[in-house]
Amino acid sequence: MDLIFDSCRAALILLASGDEELMTIVLCSLRVSGAATIIAAIIGLPLGLLVAFTAFPGKRLTLTLLNTLLAMPTVVIGLLVYAFISRRGILGFLDMLYTQEAMIVGQVVLIVPVIATMVIAAISRLDRRYQATALTLGADRLQMAWMVVVEARYAVIAAIIAAFGRVIAEIGISMMLGGNAKGFTRTMTTAMALEYDKGEFVLAVALGMVLLGLAFALNLLFQLFQGRVVSDAL
Amino acid sequence: MLYELGQVTRVHNGRKILDIDGLAIERGRITALIGANGAGKTTLLQILAFLDTPSSGQVSFLGEAVDFRGSALLELRRRIVLVDQYPILFTGSVQRNLEFGLKVRGVERAERLHRVSQALDMVGMGEFLHARAEKLSGGETKRIALARALALRPAVLLCDEPTANVDFEHQEVILNILERANGEENISIVFSTHALEQAERLADTLVTLKGGRLSRLSRVNVWPAILDDGPVAVIAGRGRREVRLALAPDALAGSPGRRVNLFFDPEKLRLLPVAEKRDDQRHLPATVVQLTADEQRVKVTVDIGVPIDVYLSAGEYGMRPPRIGELLLLQVAAGALTVE
Repeated sequence: MDLIFDSCRAALILLASGDEELMTIVLCSLRVSGAATIIAAIIGLPLGLLVAFTAFPGKRLTLTLLNTLLAMPTVVIGLLVYAFISRRGILGFLDMLYTQEAMIVGQVVLIVPVIATMVIAAISRLDRRYQATALTLGADRLQMAWMVVVEARYAVIAAIIAAFGRVIAEIGISMMLGGNAKGFTRTMTTAMALEYDKGEFVLAVALGMVLLGLAFALNLLFQLFQGRVVSDAL
Repeated sequence: MLYELGQVTRVHNGRKILDIDGLAIERGRITALIGANGAGKTTLLQILAFLDTPSSGQVSFLGEAVDFRGSALLELRRRIVLVDQYPILFTGSVQRNLEFGLKVRGVERAERLHRVSQALDMVGMGEFLHARAEKLSGGETKRIALARALALRPAVLLCDEPTANVDFEHQEVILNILERANGEENISIVFSTHALEQAERLADTLVTLKGGRLSRLSRVNVWPAILDDGPVAVIAGRGRREVRLALAPDALAGSPGRRVNLFFDPEKLRLLPVAEKRDDQRHLPATVVQLTADEQRVKVTVDIGVPIDVYLSAGEYGMRPPRIGELLLLQVAAGALTVE
């Protein structure tokens, strides 16, 4: 128990002091996961809308594939992306391996299905009269889709927050494609794994606290979006 | 003609839910679609609003054949608005709702505000401009949905059961809005209802649907009856008077006690002098209660316990003009009566 309490106390001191290494790691995590979430949202949102609104042969298979991709282990994605961007891969000339860009690509692959499937589910749950009403009021397909997204905005935001939560906490992709290079590609999770290997728990616990704090902040943000904090307080 | 439909069908999950041989809806008028739940009214309205595509058949709008898969459909759809039986308002203010259709048409802000204000005044809800849509009652929601449609100044306003699930006060307001939209704004209106009296009050033309098909039953000369042995149909007339009418054996579809509708074809009914009295339950005593003439024919309304209209050509009328109060015999030949 002493180990835990001592580590926590030391971690709090480290956090309060604004340790440079800690900040570099946290910022790297936020930059990579933030960029991956934005890119994945740009891809996943229209993909989800397309699947939700369009009837096409193989739609059920597409949904099954997307759902299967949800369960894809991060190490498998890491391996797949590695095969493409390693020196012997077809995208080897880009020289991306062990860069933040490589981590972003891997994380995008990880969470596009998350956003797409959650958007499809949100649109499917939304009252279909919204679509019919937008159309009869003169909206074209794009305007109708935008109106539906606006009506389903809480679910869409929830999808994006869930996706961010997934990538900020993943380790396989970051380790395999980023290489855990100090000051460049070291993220909170890869740093925690390294510190654990070294038997140095203080930085690992401090990073764990930041991760938990982030998770709490994200949920709080989402609750605020939904207005629940206000209604619960009344 | 506003709409012309030919051989239009709509199949859903292998079941034909609409099957219309031919239907013409006139421009500038109020047309009521009447029928029970599941008669196909909503499906027909969805097709008329170009929100649903017929499985087969032709639909013309203002003389032009409609291509349901063509790029011109958006422009056509923007001339028509369908107000749902349970209209849904977008989240946010009433103003946002009313502006939506105008925004997607690219209408300038000043013009938008003018039209929104005008439409709200028309439904008597001018003070609701900034109200939250989700705070409105059912009746208010329907009126705002109508205002949202009227703000677009459509050529056609389609309403699915506009007065369903609202209190009497709101019903009256909604019916008046529809009348004004047609009378003052010259908007063609097609609305569905299962309330015959409402349809008769408002509509110039009635279209009756039954099981997805057009029914020959129209607003005149339709009376509910109960089948009896014989076969005989019994109409409950005024003052507990029973009107018993013999049916052709092949016209009877059902067992005694079954409720049916009887349609007396006003073109095929005959009025005979009472001297030709026959007691066969196909000749009923009928008192002339009203005479109405138009350019080609005379409508004679007779009372057989219930009012029945009989059309006479100008020639028939000239040979032997009936008089108000005169007692005659109404001859209901086999071809003049339809049991549904």
